[in-house]
Amino acid sequence: MRRAGPSAGPTPYLLILPAFLVYGAFLLFPLARSVHLSLFDWDGLTLATFVGFDNYIDIATDERLRAAFGHALVLVFFFAILPVCIGLALAAVLTRARVRGLPLFRTIVFLPQVIAMVVVAIAWRQIYAPDGVLNTALRAVGLDALTRAWLGDYTFSLPAVGLIGTWVSTGLVTVLLMAGMARIPAELFESARLDGAGAVREFFSIIVPAVRPEATVALTLTVVASLKTFDLIYVTTGGGPGSSTTVPSYEVYRRAFELGEVGSAAAVGVTLTAVIFALSVVINRRAERGA
Amino acid sequence: MNAPLRPRFAGLAAAAVLAVTLAGCTPGSGGTPAPTLDPDREIETDVSALGDRTLTVWDQEVRGGQDEQMTRLNAAFEEEYPNITIERVSQSFDDLGRTLRLALSGDNAPDVVQANNSRASMGAFVAADQLLPLDPWAEEYGWADRYPESILTYSTYSDDATTFGEGSLYGLPQVGEVVGVFYSKAKLDQLGIDVPADWEAFEAALRTAKDAGETPLLLGNIEKWPAGHVFGPVQGALVDSEEIQSLGFGNEGASWLTPENVAAAAKLASWQTEGFFNEGVNGTDYDAAWQSLAAGDGVFLMGGSWLAADLQDAMGEDVGFFVPPATAGEGARTTGGTGLPFTVTSATDTPDLAAAYIDYITSDDAMAILAETGNLPVVDTQQYAPASGVLRDVYTAFGSVTEEGALLPYLDYATPTMGDTLGEALQGLLDGRLSPEQVTEALEADYADFTAAD
Amino acid sequence: MRIGVGERAANYIVLVGVSVLVLAPILTILIAAFSPASASAAREGAFHPGNFVAAWQEGRFGSYMATSVLVAAIVVTLAVGLSLLSGYAFGTMTFRGQNVLFYLFLLGIMVPAEAIIVPLFFDLRTLGLTDTVWAVSLPQVAQSVAFGTYWMRTYFRGVNRSVIEAARLDGASSQRVLWSILVPMGRPAITTMVVLMFMWTWNEFLIPLVMSPSGSFRTAPLGLALFQGQYTQGTALLAAGAVLVALPVVLLYFLLQRHFIRGMLDGAVKE
Repeated sequence: MRRAGPSAGPTPYLLILPAFLVYGAFLLFPLARSVHLSLFDWDGLTLATFVGFDNYIDIATDERLRAAFGHALVLVFFFAILPVCIGLALAAVLTRARVRGLPLFRTIVFLPQVIAMVVVAIAWRQIYAPDGVLNTALRAVGLDALTRAWLGDYTFSLPAVGLIGTWVSTGLVTVLLMAGMARIPAELFESARLDGAGAVREFFSIIVPAVRPEATVALTLTVVASLKTFDLIYVTTGGGPGSSTTVPSYEVYRRAFELGEVGSAAAVGVTLTAVIFALSVVINRRAERGA
Repeated sequence: MNAPLRPRFAGLAAAAVLAVTLAGCTPGSGGTPAPTLDPDREIETDVSALGDRTLTVWDQEVRGGQDEQMTRLNAAFEEEYPNITIERVSQSFDDLGRTLRLALSGDNAPDVVQANNSRASMGAFVAADQLLPLDPWAEEYGWADRYPESILTYSTYSDDATTFGEGSLYGLPQVGEVVGVFYSKAKLDQLGIDVPADWEAFEAALRTAKDAGETPLLLGNIEKWPAGHVFGPVQGALVDSEEIQSLGFGNEGASWLTPENVAAAAKLASWQTEGFFNEGVNGTDYDAAWQSLAAGDGVFLMGGSWLAADLQDAMGEDVGFFVPPATAGEGARTTGGTGLPFTVTSATDTPDLAAAYIDYITSDDAMAILAETGNLPVVDTQQYAPASGVLRDVYTAFGSVTEEGALLPYLDYATPTMGDTLGEALQGLLDGRLSPEQVTEALEADYADFTAAD
Repeated sequence: MRIGVGERAANYIVLVGVSVLVLAPILTILIAAFSPASASAAREGAFHPGNFVAAWQEGRFGSYMATSVLVAAIVVTLAVGLSLLSGYAFGTMTFRGQNVLFYLFLLGIMVPAEAIIVPLFFDLRTLGLTDTVWAVSLPQVAQSVAFGTYWMRTYFRGVNRSVIEAARLDGASSQRVLWSILVPMGRPAITTMVVLMFMWTWNEFLIPLVMSPSGSFRTAPLGLALFQGQYTQGTALLAAGAVLVALPVVLLYFLLQRHFIRGMLDGAVKE
């Protein structure tokens, strides 16, 4: 506790109460109810049957559900890891030599963050269409062999969806890392260069350690965002082709509201939350230990 | 003194309440039984006597001609009965399928909805008592005289929805549907081929088109279900019709594992390996495919009669339609039936109005408007046949298939999950990652699971 | 720093290159939005601002946007008010259970909507509350309050202690300290919170999709997703609709971008 407050009376509880009521009723309680529902086999209409942990066992054994969680991890790579790598390189390059136009650059690269995901998805669905912009561009430069129906290809649809995530996240990550790098005192670079350090050594011995807190934040934000991806899948592929792009958040919706497998949907939702928590803890622990 | 205790107490109390709530309640136990209508109630057929009312209708009539007929009929209804306001919500086939289940489960459900005949939609809603059996109104309005029995069968379920095709009537369709082949006349002329008279000739035409460097057959299958409308006719030509009926309705006694079914899947796969389809069918939008035909980027397009109005609009006299029979001269067997039937929800507070509305949009006058707007009226179809154009072809094909051939059910009717299973299996087949045998095994698993549980 | 001309030039190339990559998809949709919607429209020229009017009408965006505005107003007003109060308590007062309660709120920042949407729908349906503006708004208020409590606590903790002490000595109640001193002082932090909550609410998809099954409270992104299926004639009007849906937040972003960027960067839980 940093400071002793003046009030030991009921005031703080009264102040928190309204927020807590809404929060408790519309977030905490449903979360607990999710756990509860996940123990039942329920179609949402008739009386449910208690099945214990069967719905969770299904997640481990059902091929489709297991695959969904696998796809989510692939998306983590595209939404989080790839942007952090690109962001680190970009920010480092731009920090080394101050150039003009950085504020405008910041405005531009951050833009995808504020556009509704449905809009992003519709734009990219048109780009990825067989006669869309991407294939047209590839044909124009003579790479006809690479053209394909990106969202209808079992191998490429998941990376294609993932790259949309990379497009969305990279700006956020870059701006965040640039803010971290701006804090590095110029003398550090000066002395490193006097020692004859090149750009590469400078990158690994000065920049990367210095921005560890920002990188942690960036990873946490983007990992959570990638695991919550629902609207993007809903609008671009609907989980297809086959079930090659289905993800846990889409399965929650599909099971609960299309197939009437409410218990299973709740179990997927609870597991997804657990995965989000676990990954956030791991990321932040590692950052602390390394710092 | 008080304060430190308070949160702990509050926390305990909250935890206790939560525990009690959770333990004491099995999901689904508190539900109210569906309201049942008094069987002896008087049916009011005079809409103007119903007072000021709003009727909410959910349809999927989004295509050019479909949208036009709906708009006209609704306007006419409102004009005839100024006391009624129609609140129309129209969305695509896919979105309606996705949202209807949720919509019907609430108290504010729409009054009239277009529900797919399938077990996944109508069957599930009937089982959950979300739709009203329409028998009393059918009697009052004489729907059994208006419609042939074969068509009403498609909207009939037993009360618990285990049997499809027997029991009470739950809806009325406006249009007939037949799945066949659209083609560009200019392209056929250019390639020097006649309209194929049977499947052999159709395949030969595909090959000719391919050899001439054209895209023989257009398909947009990102939505997963469109390939079913290519597979259906292929299966119709190769598999016994009664077998397909059983498979399609999800009734016992048939099997997907017959050599004929495997051959049908193999046929579709061979079209893909021979390069008959456009590139990347699984990544192409359904609507982009017919737009490609209109733009002259392909020769043939397999699809349902519902595309005729849009294609005629875009291509004028250049587009034609046929359904190839297995052997020239005999009637063709293909997928088709009726458009999605209009049903009445049990949440409606005005069932008489809802039924009167359905009666209105399926009346003789309505059928005439359907025909004018480029649709295929399901009642007395041939009487409305136009003199020319692709619609004439559609009417002719529908007539010959119903009279001499066989109209086979949509395969996704079969089980609550068949839509997904079929869609994903055919996407896999077209991608080459599933063999014909694997496809039929996947379909059999779904079908057999369902029929065994019945 | 001594940086060569070559490296500086390379930097400009990187800067421009990345900007182009980011802008290209946005430009694609903008160009599509102005392109002819049909073959007959194409004969009349290549530039069609009328698409926006057509999309607005055909896609019923008027009513979707009105719902979006209503929902956003409710969520932002309620969430800001509640967060100010709770953040004030957590940031300036000491009380038993403070940490536990605070972590309980923090939990909410991580919980995905997917984890709560299933019981929310079925429980509110039992209560007959689905298809109300509250069913669409209140879950989002809860999510925003989790963030807002965290955000305002950080602000209140950062306020110079002597300001509060001085006001107290003058006899101001804690209510007065909050509303007439801390809130006016914290306008930048509060603005940031408002724009973030507005953006999240405007862009939310799953909650309005599920919580308004009859479609009476469909928000703009949801309307856009349905328009994609409903509009079968091409892509021009769909693109125009997409631009319309994105526009309010994008405009706000250009006006208040500092708040957006700072909010998104600092808003991440760092503790």
